[in-house]
Amino acid sequence: MEGFMKQSLLTFTMQKPKWVFVITLLLTAIAGAMIPSIVVDTDPENMLAEEQPARVFHNKVKERFNLYDAIVVGAVTEQGVYNPQSLQAIHQLSEGIARIEGVVVPDMMALSTVDNISQEGPGTIRFEWMMKQPPQSEQEAETIAQQVQRLPLLQETLVSGDDKATAIYVPIEDKDESYRISQEIQTLIDKLDSSDAYHITGLPVAEDTFGYQMFVQMGISAPLAALMIFVLMWLFFRNLKFVAAPMIIAMTTVIITMGALIGMGFTVHIMSSMIPIFLMPIAVVDSIHIMSEFADNYKEGQDRKTVVKKVVGHLFTPMLYTSITSAVGFFSLMLTPIPPVQVFGAYVGFGILLAFILTIAFIPAYLCALKPKALASLQSDAGKKSWLQKLLPKVGSKSLALSKLVTVGFVVVIGLSLWGITQIQINDNPVRWFKSDHEIRIADKVLNEHFAGTYNAYLVLDYEQGAAREQWLDAVNAIKHRVLKSDLLELMHTDEDLGTQLNEAIITLEDRLFEANDAQAKIIEDLLTEAEQARRSLAYFQQPQALENIEQLQQVLQDSGLVGKSNSLADVVKTVTRELKSGEQEDFVIPASQRGVAQALLQYQSSHRPQDLWHMVTKDYSSTALWLQLKSGDNQDMTRVVEYVNNYLAENPLPENVSAKWAGKSYLNMVWQDEMVAGMLGSLISAFVVVFIMMIILFRSLLFGVLAMLPLSITILFIYGLIGWVGKDYDMPIAVLSSLTLGLSIDFAIHFLERARDIYKQTKDFKLTMQRMFGEPASAISRNAIVIAVGFTPLLFAPLVPYITVGFFLATIMAASAVVTLILLPVALKATRRWAFKP
Amino acid sequence: MSLLKRALVLMVAAMLLPQVQAADESDSLSVDMIVSKVNKASYYAGDDGRSDARMIIVDKDGNKQLRQFVILRKDEKDEGDQDFLVVFSRPSDVRGTVFLVNKHVDSDDDRWLYLPGLDLVKRISAGDKRTSFVGSDFFYEDVSGRNPALDTHELLQESDEAYLLKSTPNDKANVEFAYYQASINKETFLPMVVDYYNEQGEIYRKMEVVEVEEVQGIPTVMKSKILNLETDSVTYMQFRRPTYDIGVPQEVFTSRSLRNPPREWLEAKQ
Repeated sequence: MEGFMKQSLLTFTMQKPKWVFVITLLLTAIAGAMIPSIVVDTDPENMLAEEQPARVFHNKVKERFNLYDAIVVGAVTEQGVYNPQSLQAIHQLSEGIARIEGVVVPDMMALSTVDNISQEGPGTIRFEWMMKQPPQSEQEAETIAQQVQRLPLLQETLVSGDDKATAIYVPIEDKDESYRISQEIQTLIDKLDSSDAYHITGLPVAEDTFGYQMFVQMGISAPLAALMIFVLMWLFFRNLKFVAAPMIIAMTTVIITMGALIGMGFTVHIMSSMIPIFLMPIAVVDSIHIMSEFADNYKEGQDRKTVVKKVVGHLFTPMLYTSITSAVGFFSLMLTPIPPVQVFGAYVGFGILLAFILTIAFIPAYLCALKPKALASLQSDAGKKSWLQKLLPKVGSKSLALSKLVTVGFVVVIGLSLWGITQIQINDNPVRWFKSDHEIRIADKVLNEHFAGTYNAYLVLDYEQGAAREQWLDAVNAIKHRVLKSDLLELMHTDEDLGTQLNEAIITLEDRLFEANDAQAKIIEDLLTEAEQARRSLAYFQQPQALENIEQLQQVLQDSGLVGKSNSLADVVKTVTRELKSGEQEDFVIPASQRGVAQALLQYQSSHRPQDLWHMVTKDYSSTALWLQLKSGDNQDMTRVVEYVNNYLAENPLPENVSAKWAGKSYLNMVWQDEMVAGMLGSLISAFVVVFIMMIILFRSLLFGVLAMLPLSITILFIYGLIGWVGKDYDMPIAVLSSLTLGLSIDFAIHFLERARDIYKQTKDFKLTMQRMFGEPASAISRNAIVIAVGFTPLLFAPLVPYITVGFFLATIMAASAVVTLILLPVALKATRRWAFKP
Repeated sequence: MSLLKRALVLMVAAMLLPQVQAADESDSLSVDMIVSKVNKASYYAGDDGRSDARMIIVDKDGNKQLRQFVILRKDEKDEGDQDFLVVFSRPSDVRGTVFLVNKHVDSDDDRWLYLPGLDLVKRISAGDKRTSFVGSDFFYEDVSGRNPALDTHELLQESDEAYLLKSTPNDKANVEFAYYQASINKETFLPMVVDYYNEQGEIYRKMEVVEVEEVQGIPTVMKSKILNLETDSVTYMQFRRPTYDIGVPQEVFTSRSLRNPPREWLEAKQ
């Protein structure tokens, strides 16, 4: 099978090189034409499949409570913001922001757009804008300070506890517009006549800005990496014709793969934006192998076709296997339930197989099409030895001589790595995708120092509607009047929620009452009472006991120290009650009856912003959302909050018919992180098993299978141990590295073992085999490792942290796996040579 | 008078008459007069009145809330001071909540509030009248009437059926609109559509009269709605069993009525 494939392919490409070029060019052109229709996706929400339950719930909650993603703008001044100049500036800025397209103006929160409820002399309550006009005097500014301090929903949210900062919360219709809107806000800020420091942050800005920069970065990093690889290959081979071949393979592979991805309608997510960077090194490796061997073997005057056939015949199997194993490593990512990671795995896997086919088809055609003169220049200068070729044999002999020490060394490395792995912190935070000196990171730091937190999570409490529905349906079913009964039952069959259905029943009944005679009127009035009764029992979160439970929960959250602040319906009820009563702290309480609560809330709605209430509770009062402000967007911190609340609720269970569920961006980030860690482990294990089986088949030996897996196992342990030691958080790019390690490390091991076995067959002597191994084969492996490792140094200069991470660890992986292969495998072979090289 | 003279006078009259009439129709009503008639038709019908009222607040997702109340009114004189008493009956949790407004044209209104669930009588500071009326899309000012003197009015257009008035606030600081335009029915002088514009010249709020009925010979708005185009919320206001000139006494509109609403005047008499 392999032989047949090899033969027919080779015959075709060498007979008809032009056809190969035309087909390659055509494919590249078609795929390349797809690339301009690229759609970038930076929404971490898409880390979860669209139907993922936590995501579905999150979006339901957003809809239910009219919640929007918000940009947070903060003004900070050391002298305190309550002065006419600062307030004038923030007032002017708020007005400007309200005119930006895409801002949800009614829900904007700023000192000039929120309401104040206060006492105006004894027995008089006053509703007014907090700061309709900017204050003219210090005294007026001070009055605003005092008023804000009285309102728990505003204090530490709109103005910081130390009075040094004030915020504008800018809800936006579409989070994909955050970058544009934040830029427009920045333009407004630049025009302000203010010496205060202004910052813009919020998860949507971070995400969308990242998307913008990612796009830019893709245009810089990938070509720069290509250039670097080119320069390095030039340094190694000093021949343009030689270097051109792998470069063509790399470019073609990247263009066709990305074109296919975009053409298939997939969005380019942060993961898939790195596909070119992952594919380029893998794509050049095979052609370097063929070109090197060809150059080594070809002597002037020889029939090049014969030499190509010999070289390709020689390399075909190891190349096929390295390609398949690398692809398997990436394909295994499709087992991770994170769509962007799946797409990434699928297309890198595809790209690797494509690169293999291109190499096998294109390189022989390329060699056959070269002019004889150019061909001659390819020959390696056997006389001159590079530093690498001088160094490697020493490495080989030394490690063999010190095999015990090497073994001990690796055992120590493994031990240290295992310890390092136990230290790994699983954590991610989209804001940390920027470097620490990026303005978003600075804004994030400054604003979270001052305010209760710019990261949001919601704890949603739901009251089970069944009882209220039953109560009402029982009353309806008892009706004797057929028409009325069927009309009322019909109202219950709409999609609307129970609260609206009950209100519609009340409206219908009222209308009937208007035309009813006395007997009917009695029935209708009884039904109206029933409907009102059902509506009241549905309005669970209007009940004092329910609000007291929320109050306790908030206290627990505050005491935990894990949450900057929580805001709830209970806060609203207590604030309004206090102002309705005496205005004194003693009246900062939840009214004793449901009617009291309902009436206080009716007053709250008599403001400029009645819709504010519905961010906290549904219109039927059967569901309420506690808004938690967190100072950090780290998934770890969110996890702590969730665990803390879960523990509390386990010890202090909610009433039977009330359930608690989480929503909010910070929570979603935590969910996908958890899914990813579990998924990645599954991917890695399954890829490991598949590759192991393939190795046993390839070498037709269990021992060689184990040996082949040795370098990559140690490399993976080492890399993750290193991550633990360095204290780098295990985030998305890091998680993907395991597959990369698996895919690339195995290449070196396959080439090494395959060649070792070949050479042993010729020499029948282990020592001699090893000597030869540290000639050409070892230098090929090292060259490849260096090309890839150094080729990715441009990534280290990227402004986005995930690129730096990938660049750094890619280089480390290549170095580590080459070193492990070259040092450990000879030692391992030596120890097992009796079984490995059975006569 | 000679025949000739008579004929001449008639001729001249015949020539002049249509023009005089035409002049009468366009010029006879100044903007101020239109505004005054509108004010009277909208808020001063009869000397007093009562009506059942129901508000259905529908949010952008179709969720419905209900507010039901009785409204009693007594005018001191047309376009002068007047009193309102609003007593809530639904939702049942707010039953018995009462608003009392003693509206003054030349000074701040006196506003009172009674909350039975908190057993609390409270005076509401005059402050801002453009706040939501109990969570609906109506403002207090939409219920009790905006003083025409607060705006400068101009007649933009006149058709056979309607006047189009543009009203610009004299003091922008106290309102959220840049101006509003009202289309006024020439027969009834009721504003049928009012569009509120923001600084950018966009309509963000809209009042529409849906149904008008004649009650005791007085054209009366039975159904109207206000759309909030920013939140996509809409409030339908329906009046039922309105009656005028019932002779409600002045003492009904004092703070005594807050804790003890005057049943006899609140209930509809059929």
